[in-house]
Amino acid sequence: MLKLSVADDANVQPLASLNDHRMSHPPPSPIYTLRGAGGPLNSLHFRCYGEDAPLLFSGSGKGCIHIWNLNTRRTNKVIEGHSGSSIIWVCTKRSKDTLISQGRDMQICLWDLGEGRCDLLDSVWTGSVGFCQCSMLETSPISSLLAFAGQQTEEIKIIELPSKIQICTLMPVAKVGMVMCINLFQPDSCPGPLLLAGYEEGSLLLWDVTQQSILSQVKAHPDPVMCLTFDPTRLRGISGSSEKNLSSWKLDEKNNLQLQGGVTLANPGVSQLCIREDGKLLASAGWDSRVRVFGWKKLRPLAVLQYHTDMVLSVAFSDHQDPRQRLMAAGSKDQRISLWSLYNES
Amino acid sequence: MESVSDSDSVRLEVSACLRCLSSSDSSRNITVLQTLLSYLDEASHGAAQRAQFSRSHYSRTLRVLITTIEADWVHRLTARQREELWDALFLRGPPEQALLVLLEAIGELSPSTSLDHVVTITEKFLQDGRLTNLLWSYCVGSAQSDSPQLRETLLGRLSALPDIMANKLHHNISPLFLPQQYYPLLASAMLTALQRTCQALRDNINCSLAFVSQTLGKLCLQGHGLVLAAMAPRLSACTRSDMVWQRVCWKLFESIPQRSMECVLTALVPESLGRIVGNLVLRNKKAEFVITHKLLLLQYKYETGVLRTVLGYLAADRDRRPLLIQVLRCICQAWANPSAVKHTPMEQQLYVSKALLLSVSLLKDQELQDLRSELLQCLLGGMQSHLDSSVLRIRCVGMVVGECLSSRMDNADTKLKFEYEQDEETRELLSLMTPSGWCEPEPVDGKAHKNPLNQVSVLQHNIILTFIHKSSDDELTPYDMTEDQEVSQTSPPRYLRDCLESLMSSEDAMRVELSLKAADPLVRRNAFAAREISVQMSKVLLHMEDKYNIQGFLILRHAAMVALAVTDCIPVTQYLTTEFYSLNYSLRQRLDMLEVLVAAAQELSLPTTDKKNSSIISALDVAELPPFQGHDPVHWRQVVEKRIQSKTRRISKGASQPATAKATPNRYAPVAGYFFFPLLKNYDKPEVTFDLLGSDHLVLGRLIHSLGLFMHLAVNAPVVSPIMGSALLDFVWTVRYHTDQMVRRGVLFAVCSVFLSMPSQNLLLDLGDMLFETRTWLTDVAEGDPDADCRSLAVQSLVLLDKSLKKQLKDPQSPSLES
Repeated sequence: MLKLSVADDANVQPLASLNDHRMSHPPPSPIYTLRGAGGPLNSLHFRCYGEDAPLLFSGSGKGCIHIWNLNTRRTNKVIEGHSGSSIIWVCTKRSKDTLISQGRDMQICLWDLGEGRCDLLDSVWTGSVGFCQCSMLETSPISSLLAFAGQQTEEIKIIELPSKIQICTLMPVAKVGMVMCINLFQPDSCPGPLLLAGYEEGSLLLWDVTQQSILSQVKAHPDPVMCLTFDPTRLRGISGSSEKNLSSWKLDEKNNLQLQGGVTLANPGVSQLCIREDGKLLASAGWDSRVRVFGWKKLRPLAVLQYHTDMVLSVAFSDHQDPRQRLMAAGSKDQRISLWSLYNES
Repeated sequence: MESVSDSDSVRLEVSACLRCLSSSDSSRNITVLQTLLSYLDEASHGAAQRAQFSRSHYSRTLRVLITTIEADWVHRLTARQREELWDALFLRGPPEQALLVLLEAIGELSPSTSLDHVVTITEKFLQDGRLTNLLWSYCVGSAQSDSPQLRETLLGRLSALPDIMANKLHHNISPLFLPQQYYPLLASAMLTALQRTCQALRDNINCSLAFVSQTLGKLCLQGHGLVLAAMAPRLSACTRSDMVWQRVCWKLFESIPQRSMECVLTALVPESLGRIVGNLVLRNKKAEFVITHKLLLLQYKYETGVLRTVLGYLAADRDRRPLLIQVLRCICQAWANPSAVKHTPMEQQLYVSKALLLSVSLLKDQELQDLRSELLQCLLGGMQSHLDSSVLRIRCVGMVVGECLSSRMDNADTKLKFEYEQDEETRELLSLMTPSGWCEPEPVDGKAHKNPLNQVSVLQHNIILTFIHKSSDDELTPYDMTEDQEVSQTSPPRYLRDCLESLMSSEDAMRVELSLKAADPLVRRNAFAAREISVQMSKVLLHMEDKYNIQGFLILRHAAMVALAVTDCIPVTQYLTTEFYSLNYSLRQRLDMLEVLVAAAQELSLPTTDKKNSSIISALDVAELPPFQGHDPVHWRQVVEKRIQSKTRRISKGASQPATAKATPNRYAPVAGYFFFPLLKNYDKPEVTFDLLGSDHLVLGRLIHSLGLFMHLAVNAPVVSPIMGSALLDFVWTVRYHTDQMVRRGVLFAVCSVFLSMPSQNLLLDLGDMLFETRTWLTDVAEGDPDADCRSLAVQSLVLLDKSLKKQLKDPQSPSLES
């Protein structure tokens, strides 16, 4: 009834009526799913550029890294390299066939995947017992910076790869609790890289890596910051917590963090947030087993995807060169990965 | 002496002329015509002779001319001669006589060139503005002193000229004689006459407006009130500043004959009354009656604008204000009268309410203080009788009026406040209290395009806004997100007994809600388990209260109870029907029982199809129930009635069913009696808490309606339907003239369904005498019931009855004829 009445005064609010009209579309279904990971899926990573078959890397709670071929929709290879400990993060380097994985066994491993190999190249001991995922910033085709949580709960270490030289250690003076999530990025305005970190107490800190100093601090959540993501082109980011609110914030010219409000979800708890490369979509992996999709510019809710039967732990957008092929993957505690094709028309 | 000889000479000469005209000798006729014409000219004869001619000989002359119209010499006249001599005689003389003779001739002549000629002259007569001359001649009294009969004839002809012409000429009529052109012409003639009157009064010449008034009255009496509507703006404009015009207008309306006063006033009412008619209402008893009584209390067809004008008119002048007070008293009485609330149509009650609010809003504070006690009395009595009504609309109107009255009386501490749903009607009523609207409309041309620039800028603004919206992420279409609800922690019960247990004893709101939601599907899925606990569960559900404010509580409970009644029909219906008459239930619960029984009967009577379809049907049923049906019995009834009506049509047309429909046993037919008969018992035994025939007529109406539904659903149960039908007719007979229209509607609905569902051969056999009594009663209702729904239902029943009887009498195979 309400929808009808709104649609009636189309002259007054053409846009609103249009939206209401379209709202009647039922939410989409996954285009396919991947089963057989044998554990909760903590981390997902696409690698779809180049000539090779598009790949999806997944790290499971049982310590396996699955490499899925998205053409055949089967596993190419399974790597078990963290002695059965849960894998919390997987990533590949752009330049080479190098895979980086982080496990709860306090190791970060580098794998060579070139020409069908899967050899352990190197490993780094972190000493962290937490769940904080690493963050990698590729500074040049050969070298990159890797930030990870250190042995002490509040400590963040940054090393250079492949030399493994430690660049700095970031320790906040104030009591902010365990470091929960980090994001390393290189803004245009600064010479050196910056690092965003969310802490147990609910604060977000912006670190200048070269100065090893805190540029800005903001209390984004009353509860621990579970995840954050940052859009370096628009200098905006968003963070999630164990409560119902997503908190959005912005980085101004003086590198100050400013809260911008956020979104309230129907159910509390977000495991991961991810922004699509074109800056149009934001996806959240909810503890209520739903993936929510928002328009990134205004945080307008666009879709609530219900497929999983347990907490969604990870969500990722693919890096296909052809935008029509872009995918979104969601990994859940129910041991399945669902793949979705959303808003790919333009 | 001289005048006598003068008159003789005129008479002799005219007689000679006329003789000459009638004879066949035509040589002198042109001169004769010229001689006659000269009597109409000022130059050639003395005033006395001219007056003599126009008084005594003019009509005769014209008649003779008409009789000679076929003569040879007339045909030999050149067109110019004819126009200047023959036609001119008609167009220059006293117009009233000419018009009468012309119309008389038109009436007598048969279609011919002569008729065409006369019609042309009449047309010319109208075009030359002779109507104005006619009216004006009566204004200045220059017209001959006529008899009342003549005047009446003239008035009749004037007002009915289009009819006379159309009767004679049929399709060949000139557009000038069409009412659309003639009446505006007449109106402008009257206006010109009035204009001249004003001028004459300024020049100290006496005038009489009686004839114009009579014409106006006659026109309005004959239903041409639009003439007045066309004149009124001009009158209104002229009277704005001109005192003479104002006096002329007042005089005009004062001299309107008594019997046409009402028509004139009603035609005038949409316009600005005050300036045009002045204090007519004080001087003319008839006008007073029309304005203060008829328009407000007897008629109710007018728009709110008319009410505003009438009451505004009464309020606008100091002399008329006592009338406003008097009117307000009458309206108060009418509004508060409990009998009126029961026996007058809804539309009239609405009209009276509007009048009440308008007149209260027009009162000054001092007057309000004087009337305070009376208003309070009216408010209290009226509120009670309105709130007692079982019709939602009446209650709503009562609440709005009560609120408005109490707020106007400025009882800061005792202001009434009701909760009702805002709709168009209530908003309109509320808007009547703002006093700005009643003033007379002033022309506002030139202000319409106040600021075109502004509009443009708004438009541009809109475009810019749209552009901004477009460029943001609005281009991404949201999907339906209604499913995104909070996830509950507890899981719904999986066994029926768990469900019952938590409904009975759980204190956990979440569990109760889930159990209630799960009850309907659980009962339907586990029919066997449901049969064991059906009565117990019905009891629990019936007594359940919405302790936790569960969303859609009523619908969920209703669905669960219906599921029980359908699954385990006989025990549950037995339980519900006995409980219906037992002690200590609220009205709400009793209504719930009826609703459940009805819904269950409906579901049972639907043909069972495969599981998928039935679930769709039940879903539809639930969807059709409005969420807060409990507060809106009318709506509920209408929904059900609509459903029934749609079915009715299908059955009566005998529409062919789709060929694929499979025959399935009717589940309702064998149990129809269990629904129906127990409810017929005990209705006349008043309990302490439940008096069906007394104050609880709301339930009575529903009960009868439900019985009607059971009857209707039994259309495919030929064994029981005759017994049910006669029992039902017996039952409703005692309450057929109930004061509450909801009960009457229920009764009529029940009667309708009896005629629909009973096999036609049983109608005569089983009902017999009762049928004819019913028929008389139905005719009575169809003619005289104040409620429109009742009337239409009665008509519908009559039609059904006739159809059924006719079918029965025509059908030679029918058993009643064999017997």
